[in-house]
Amino acid sequence: MEQPKISRRFFVSISAMAGAFAFIPASVKSAYISAKNLFIPQKRALPLSVSINKKLYKLQQDTRTTLLDLLREELQLTGSKKGCDHGQCGACTVHVDGERVLSCLTLAAMVQGKEVTTIEGLANGDELHPMQKAFVECDGFQCGYCTPGQIMSAVACVKEGHTGSVEEIKEFMSGNLCRCGAYNGIVKSIQQVAQ
Amino acid sequence: MNFFKTKTSSPKVEGRVEGVFKVTGTGKYSAEYHLDGMTYAVIVGSTVPAGRIESIQLDQAKQVEGVLDILTHQNRPQIPAFATKEKLDKSGYSLPVLHTDQIYFKGQPIALVVATTLEDAMYAASLVTATYRKTTANVDFDGSHKGVDAEPFGKERGTMAAWASAPHVAEAEYTIRHEVHNPMEMHATIATWHAPGKLKLYDKTQGVNSVQQTVSRLWEMPKENVEVISEFMGGGFGSGLKVWPNVPLAIMASSQLKRPVKLVLTRPQMFTLVGYRPQSWQKVRIGADKSGKFTGIWHQAKHATAIYDNFNEGIVRISRMLYDVKNIKTEFATVPLNLSAPTWMRGPGDCTGAFALESAVDELSYVLKMDPVQLRLQNLALRIDPDTGKPWSTNYMGECVTKGAEMIGWGDRKALPGTVKDGDWQIGYGMAVGMWFAGRQKASAAIRLDKDGVITVETAMTDIGTGTGTAMQNIAHEYLGIPKEKIKVKLGQSTLPPAPSQGGSTGLSSLSGAVTAACEAFKSKMDAYASTAGEQSSPANYSLIMQKNKLTEVLAEASSGPGEEQKKYAFCSGAAHFCKVKVHSKTGKVKVEKMASVVDAGHIVNQQAAANQVSGAAVGGIGMALSEEQLTDNRYGCLVGNDLAGYHFAVNADAPIIDVDFIHKTDVNINPTGSKGVGEVGIIGTAAAIANAIYNATGKRLRDLPITPDKVLLS
Repeated sequence: MEQPKISRRFFVSISAMAGAFAFIPASVKSAYISAKNLFIPQKRALPLSVSINKKLYKLQQDTRTTLLDLLREELQLTGSKKGCDHGQCGACTVHVDGERVLSCLTLAAMVQGKEVTTIEGLANGDELHPMQKAFVECDGFQCGYCTPGQIMSAVACVKEGHTGSVEEIKEFMSGNLCRCGAYNGIVKSIQQVAQ
Repeated sequence: MNFFKTKTSSPKVEGRVEGVFKVTGTGKYSAEYHLDGMTYAVIVGSTVPAGRIESIQLDQAKQVEGVLDILTHQNRPQIPAFATKEKLDKSGYSLPVLHTDQIYFKGQPIALVVATTLEDAMYAASLVTATYRKTTANVDFDGSHKGVDAEPFGKERGTMAAWASAPHVAEAEYTIRHEVHNPMEMHATIATWHAPGKLKLYDKTQGVNSVQQTVSRLWEMPKENVEVISEFMGGGFGSGLKVWPNVPLAIMASSQLKRPVKLVLTRPQMFTLVGYRPQSWQKVRIGADKSGKFTGIWHQAKHATAIYDNFNEGIVRISRMLYDVKNIKTEFATVPLNLSAPTWMRGPGDCTGAFALESAVDELSYVLKMDPVQLRLQNLALRIDPDTGKPWSTNYMGECVTKGAEMIGWGDRKALPGTVKDGDWQIGYGMAVGMWFAGRQKASAAIRLDKDGVITVETAMTDIGTGTGTAMQNIAHEYLGIPKEKIKVKLGQSTLPPAPSQGGSTGLSSLSGAVTAACEAFKSKMDAYASTAGEQSSPANYSLIMQKNKLTEVLAEASSGPGEEQKKYAFCSGAAHFCKVKVHSKTGKVKVEKMASVVDAGHIVNQQAAANQVSGAAVGGIGMALSEEQLTDNRYGCLVGNDLAGYHFAVNADAPIIDVDFIHKTDVNINPTGSKGVGEVGIIGTAAAIANAIYNATGKRLRDLPITPDKVLLS
């Protein structure tokens, strides 16, 4: 956020003036408040309507909130992970209208009216999605933290048809980092589902 | 594509005990618990690397809606153990977080903003500024280590004079840049004083009991009053073995506000607040007689540390235990800098040391014109630990080397470097060995049987992704004969039977003894109940025994730890790493084409999870060898860059499918399951194997990690 330059002295003097003239008319006070708002932008919430895992949410959302923070902190859908908050690791990958998207680089306001699918919405009730099942069977993880993002990307990787060879899978899955290095199992899981 | 074309009734999925939680996103990591009245905290770091804080400006930040409080060294609640200088020195905690105006490194926490939402806290944190009285900072390892003398590390064996005129000698210096653990989950703490004097922490840690002990010591409160939970842990690699500033900060904020506080580090903060593998310099001189028998090793090493901490990872240790050599001298020193404190990172010390030692052995093989595989087999100390003189309980590293050579197709290697080409690519093979002491610590576990016949195996140990939970299930299944689907596990809570931290490849080795002991205790308890009730069905009918004794639950707890065997034997895990690389002659790009790791880790309790750990370590080794480096800016006294776009660990495409195999020979002395750790040996030696392969491919000896394309081209 752009922060206008302002000296501390100026700020203190404005505050002191406002304090000293507490009795002055409301119009002056409101002028002071709007002057202050110039320097400290106020939080703003806007209505947001979004479908997440086929459930419709009607929210009043802070305009600064990312889709990832909305999921994790507001809706307690903590399956989507925060690994960097910079779009560099893929742990937050979700599907928006069927396409893989980095939810940490997506403001919540940008998914107005869209259909979001997170890892929590991938299974069909109790039945695991084939990719989830493959990750369990092929041990496509260790600590499991990058796993939801890997699986969301893996599903897209299969859908996009990038499973022709080990090299192709590896290339198209390289936006999802795994520090445990469980890449053997990740590739094997995708091969299993692609077959 | 419709994945649900064929509707089947939930098929049973084989895999880890916690697998379904991980693939459905339902496993709770530390930052993912929601408590009523939750508040969000964001750390403000110092913008200078050395000096004193003169003032901190909070006026603007306090104007932000939602801000509840801002803690600084001037208004935070007192941590009892930081109350006086004497107490602080005794506390064993090196950084007095928010209890000093002294700045030791750039990014040191100087304020903690707490607000009702994360967005409010982040914005307000961006408005906090401070003025400092700056002093000179030094973050220049290369320029500083020459002024620090290495001192003896361990007793010198033999003499330097004895091999001064060895016919064959290799001598060189090796350097490795600062590396950062960067587990995928950022370190996080939720702190809540849920009852008077009672603290609960959801913390990302490799050891809940260790956090419990440290916090109870710092707050001078009984440890029973500190509950620590870490049920799912998003990777550690050593960064989760210490209590970092996020823990005391969250606790201070929670006591100030009397509300739960969630504090999650940002990725940039992961570079400065939770340790790293320090930058290092090493020099190795190794000599051999005409037959290739090593006659002496002189290994010197220095690594960086923080000016306020005394971390020392003993890089030269590996040279004292790997080879059978009469004359050995090892020296070591640390170089204090204005950086945050380093810590153990996967294969601490030995991983760094093995790069130098195993590169030097490779260099010697070319001097001797001997096959590096043969040279290893001729010199490995397979019977006796040269450092303690005790016999190895088991050491099958020779078999690891032979098997690995087969797996990679070592026969295709050309002894003369730079002779195999494929267009612009040069092809070469390399190998190295790794070793790690196989440790075991005291641990406890419990077996709980409920009235539905379901067994729960419990321990406080965390499972950081190694498969501890699954191994516990496997062991209980083996010892009790109860089907796996009837065995649950519960771990990562300080209220459960105490266990050591999961680190140093000691987790399973320590815990397997505890689980088997708990199984035995459980069986004798059930036997006693059976005879009381006169119940003699064979096989024993647990539910009948419980019914007849009017029991709703049976609980058996037991501890187990190392004993007399430690006096008789030395213990180690071993590994051999082989790889085939391609080096592009025009761009300097290195591609690891094939990699094979063979590990001697005794009895393997869970083949799939153990192999996963080893292949993952090899991937870590590829990053260490080719891309991982955190540079420092010596003018400004800080790190250059601090995110995953700048710090490159191996992505999927950087690693081939790694071939892993085990020797599968039980170590009957170490613990009841005969298992030794695998976590560290998987990475120890891998970087050397890759550097050695690059030499074989190109004839260029690269002794400075990471081996980035520029270094390949310019050498």
